[in-house]
Amino acid sequence: MEEKLHDIRQTFQKFKAAYATNSFDTCSNLLSQLKVKLTELPGLPPLFKPSPTAVQELLLARDIFEHAVVLSVKMEDQDAFERHFLQLKSYYTDTRGLISPSEQEYPILGLNLLRLLVQNRIAEFHTELELLPPEAHENPCIKHAVELEQSFMEGAYNRVLSARQAVPHETYVYFMDLLAKTVRDEIAGCSEKAYDSLSVADAKKILMFSSDRELQGYVIEDHPNWEIRGSSVYFQKVKDLAPCKEIPSLQLINQTLGYARELERIV
Amino acid sequence: MTVVSTASGLLAMLQEQHPVLKLHALTNLNVLVDNFWPEISTNISAIESLYEDEQFHERQLAALVASKVFYHLGELNDSLIYALGAGPLFDVSEDSEYVQTLVAKCVDEYISLSVKASETESESMPLDPRLVAIVERMLDKCMQDGKFQQAVGIALECRRLDKLEEAIIRSENAPAMLSYCLRISQTFVNRREFRHEVLRLLVKSYQNLQQPDYLSICQCLMFLDDPSTVANILDKLLKGDKNDTLLAYQVAFDLFENEYQKFLLNVRDRLPEPAVAGALNPEVGGFANGVVGAHNENGISAMTDGGPMAMDTSEELATLSTPAGGSGDTASASERLPERSPYADRLSKLKAILSGETPISLTLQFLYSHNRSDLAILKTIKHSVEMRNSVGHSATIYSNALMHAGTTVDTFLRENLDWLSRATNWAKFSATAGLGVIHRGHLQQGRSLMAPYLPQNGGLGGGSPYSEGGALYALGLIHANHGEGIKQFLLESLRNTSNDVIQHGACLGLGLAALGTADEEIYEDIKNVLYTDNAVAGEAAGISIGLLMVGTASEKAHEMLTYAHDTQHEKIIRGLALGIALVVYGREEEADTLIEQMTRDQDPILRYGGMYAIAMAYQGTANNSAIRRLLHFAVSDVSDDVRRTAVLALGFVLCSEPEQTPRIVSLLSESYNAHVRYGAAMAVGISCAGSGSSEAISLLEPLTSDAVDFVRQGALIAMAMVMLQTTEAREVRVGSFRRQLEKIINDKHEETMSKMGAILAQGILDAGGRNVAIMLQSRTGHDRVTAVVGMAVFSQFWYWYPLIYFISLSFVPTAFIGLNEDLRMPKFDFTSEAKPSMFGYPPSVAPPTTASAVKLPTAVLSTSVRAKARGARKDLESRSGKSIVQEATATLPSNNQSIPDGPNSNAEILVDDESTATARDENAMDVEGVVDSKKSTSAEPLFEVLSNPARVVPAQEKYIKFNENSRYAPLKLKRAPSGFVMLRDLEPSEPVELVSTDSPASAAAGNTGPSPNAPASTVVVEDNEPPPPEPFEYMPTE
Repeated sequence: MEEKLHDIRQTFQKFKAAYATNSFDTCSNLLSQLKVKLTELPGLPPLFKPSPTAVQELLLARDIFEHAVVLSVKMEDQDAFERHFLQLKSYYTDTRGLISPSEQEYPILGLNLLRLLVQNRIAEFHTELELLPPEAHENPCIKHAVELEQSFMEGAYNRVLSARQAVPHETYVYFMDLLAKTVRDEIAGCSEKAYDSLSVADAKKILMFSSDRELQGYVIEDHPNWEIRGSSVYFQKVKDLAPCKEIPSLQLINQTLGYARELERIV
Repeated sequence: MTVVSTASGLLAMLQEQHPVLKLHALTNLNVLVDNFWPEISTNISAIESLYEDEQFHERQLAALVASKVFYHLGELNDSLIYALGAGPLFDVSEDSEYVQTLVAKCVDEYISLSVKASETESESMPLDPRLVAIVERMLDKCMQDGKFQQAVGIALECRRLDKLEEAIIRSENAPAMLSYCLRISQTFVNRREFRHEVLRLLVKSYQNLQQPDYLSICQCLMFLDDPSTVANILDKLLKGDKNDTLLAYQVAFDLFENEYQKFLLNVRDRLPEPAVAGALNPEVGGFANGVVGAHNENGISAMTDGGPMAMDTSEELATLSTPAGGSGDTASASERLPERSPYADRLSKLKAILSGETPISLTLQFLYSHNRSDLAILKTIKHSVEMRNSVGHSATIYSNALMHAGTTVDTFLRENLDWLSRATNWAKFSATAGLGVIHRGHLQQGRSLMAPYLPQNGGLGGGSPYSEGGALYALGLIHANHGEGIKQFLLESLRNTSNDVIQHGACLGLGLAALGTADEEIYEDIKNVLYTDNAVAGEAAGISIGLLMVGTASEKAHEMLTYAHDTQHEKIIRGLALGIALVVYGREEEADTLIEQMTRDQDPILRYGGMYAIAMAYQGTANNSAIRRLLHFAVSDVSDDVRRTAVLALGFVLCSEPEQTPRIVSLLSESYNAHVRYGAAMAVGISCAGSGSSEAISLLEPLTSDAVDFVRQGALIAMAMVMLQTTEAREVRVGSFRRQLEKIINDKHEETMSKMGAILAQGILDAGGRNVAIMLQSRTGHDRVTAVVGMAVFSQFWYWYPLIYFISLSFVPTAFIGLNEDLRMPKFDFTSEAKPSMFGYPPSVAPPTTASAVKLPTAVLSTSVRAKARGARKDLESRSGKSIVQEATATLPSNNQSIPDGPNSNAEILVDDESTATARDENAMDVEGVVDSKKSTSAEPLFEVLSNPARVVPAQEKYIKFNENSRYAPLKLKRAPSGFVMLRDLEPSEPVELVSTDSPASAAAGNTGPSPNAPASTVVVEDNEPPPPEPFEYMPTE
């Protein structure tokens, strides 16, 4: 067991070295080796076999996965981020009492929240939030994500965008960029509903593009049904939307009021 | 201990590139799946795609995990598919709920697939080999663990004969396995063809045993309807040593018990003729001679010598105008007495058994000598029935006939000639027919007994057509299912008459005598009667065709159905409907087309016939679809008749599983519809007959006091059927039921219908001299055709009272008759390890005082009983001196018989001292008094010694023990100790002591002129009947 641990530690050292030099290919190769080696350690989840080296194993594995999570952010790989985070999460939730909490815990949890926000998975965002203890909400990393979500929900997109300048951790920048894109998509969706057409200048302003080219590229890539004619952007509304069946609101109101009156009389 | 709180980490790991990680994740998921299946189920597609990934080398593990998840989700079908994909990883021996459920599912799936495959007869869909592998692994495991019964069961259900054979061979106790297999193949294998395959396999396996079990082989062969093999086996056994011969006889008796006339006759005909051609008569005579020479007028000899002749020389007999000619012939034959080989001797004995003469005559003799019917009950009934009430009057006659069924005791009729002569028209018909029930099985003298009433040759005689018709019906009842000798005569009678009443009787008689023979000639004649379109004759003709064609499922059924649509007469339609039902007897699925046609008919009577058709086709199978159909009709049909019959038919379908019936019909018995309640009562009566089941009694009890009269009638009759031969010691409610019956009969204000029910119930309760039971299935589990048919036609008495007599067909004597190799009864004792009162006869009723009837007389009472008896005797004496002697001689056998059974040995001495018949009668009363008083003071013994032949009721069988140091031992120890049992003589050198027997009153000798208006007067009175011979020692001539 000791040898294995030792072996893993050595590989991890190499990984850290490569990580420090940002040579991502070496990193991911080493990481893959590390993960395979980790499966041989019995003290890790889901087995949690008690052994004299269990604590060391856990600490080491947690460290590896924390690095893996950060690495995937650096490599801008959201899927890998999710995979690593989910594997790491077990070390945070299930090992309390076995090993001391990690310093990286809140930043990584915050990152995850941010990721969920970026992917517009609001339900999961709140589930994760509920699982956190109350004191964690005071942590700047978590707080940052929570505030972002609130602004996002309110539609205060400018606040979301300006928050990029106040990131609590350098890894957050990647997600903040992605968030800008998410925000833009939201705005685009709203404008499509709200307007028939917009002037290119307005559209540029609303969608926060600095040049016409960027706007054009965006339209071609994400909204092929939009059309730029002259100096205006025309939103092709989905015209053939089935007309909403009119709710017989007046009748309903009358009925409800009637019930209320009757109810009062009976009581 | 730390545990994971989520499987999401592992699920994430599944997405990793490296196969080792995937494998790691899967392995852990497989362990955790029972706790985290809800989480895993959201990612099930990942696992599924792993399974489908050809590159992934642990696909089977993925399949296993997926299977477990689907199992937890309740998607057993998907789960099974993946479990099959898991291959060897799916461990059938794992003791978890998952594996057990899936294996069960797997077996179910396999069963349904293989059943479907075998039924559609096409190999369109080959079975999944993986499925087969699992089932086979399961079977192998069963066998390794020694659970051979389970293996046999699964193999049977899967229709895997190879596995079945393997299970039988591998088990340590092959004979036990075989008998188990035989039993379940009869109860659980619904499909006839497959059942036959199983039986063929069983025969093969039986023959491979070290000591072939010929009893079972022949049973199987009978189910397979293979008479020639049976004949070969029997022939082989006869050529063997003594024990083999005994075995051959035992096989023959057992086959006889199943009452499959056609098969028995086929076996008989396939046996080789005795060596000397044309020497049959002398042989038979010679055989008879041995007996006649030994003891004068012995019952067996009297019966057996004439019997084979009746069989083999039926034409001769038919032309004989007087029965005396027959006995004369016998006498002359017996004088010749040629020497013949033992083989020929054995062969003729065997044939006598197969054709039924020997068993029937032995039975008759048993019923006669053990008759314990209580005339006091009949007297009570007679007195309480109003003079002018013809229903009550005929009910009493029916009741008497049933009480004395097969005993040949017609004392009651003889004593009450005036009263009897009040029967007119159809009542006369049934009164005459009643004689047939009383003399049932009296094959040899049946015709001479009935001679006075029979239509005279050469047109219309002086007699009333009603008694003539009744007499023909009676002849049918006497010869039911063994009518070779009589059917020619009945056929001629049918041809010679154009009177519808006589035709009616003749048709019924012919149907009974030629039961199940499918004789074309008879069919044509009956059909002619049918086409005269006379309501009375046509009804009987319809039933008769059914009887004739029982179980043949011939095309005739469609002919009948067509005619039923043509005719206007309801009676004929009803007769035909029942007839059609009988034709499809026991054919199960084969009959479905016809059943469908009938049950969808516009005419309620044909639908009613359809119900009977289901009952007959599926009788004793407890087939679920049949039960479902019947229940459906029972609640949905518009006609009350159909609903009633549908419920009633349940009784037939369930008669092999009587414990089920009360549960199934319990709701119906509370129906608002009286007809349905009636049907429920009868269904319970039919299927639980003779069981004394307390559930059945609890169900019937409230119905006996129903608000509707005919429901009460049905419930009383059904109750009597259930309680048949149940003593008060076993079921307390028997006593109260008897009291209830008495109360109903005596109650002036009771309605006629229920009164009639009560009278009939009395008859059934004491049927056949209290020595018979109703058995719709033989001891080996085969359905007794005659009994079931009899019961079905009986249940038709709702429309036609004379059909009540058909119930006598389902009576079986509950006797132990031990026979030695000469087919005679040696003296032989054995023990019944139960209190005598558990299975004894009910106490007899004190003659005139009905109030104290059921109480045991105390010591004081015994004198008063005697005094009363004397008083009664004096009254009788003053009427006519002659009748006393009659009564005395008639009651003598029954009194005499009571002694060996009684616990008191003093009684025997008392009786032995008696000399004259009159004195005997009086003293017999005395003896009873003594016995009774002793009973009340001394403790009851815990066992009882019975001597051959003895009454052994079915419930008593398990208490029977044979003494180890006895001279005789039964041939087959495992066989139930009842019916005919061949005994092995352990000391063959010693002289044989035979049981001296009372023979039924022989009417052949002095038959005086006919007097058709007073039926019983013609029964011969033998004033000077010699006393039965003293016990003697028989020296065999050989």
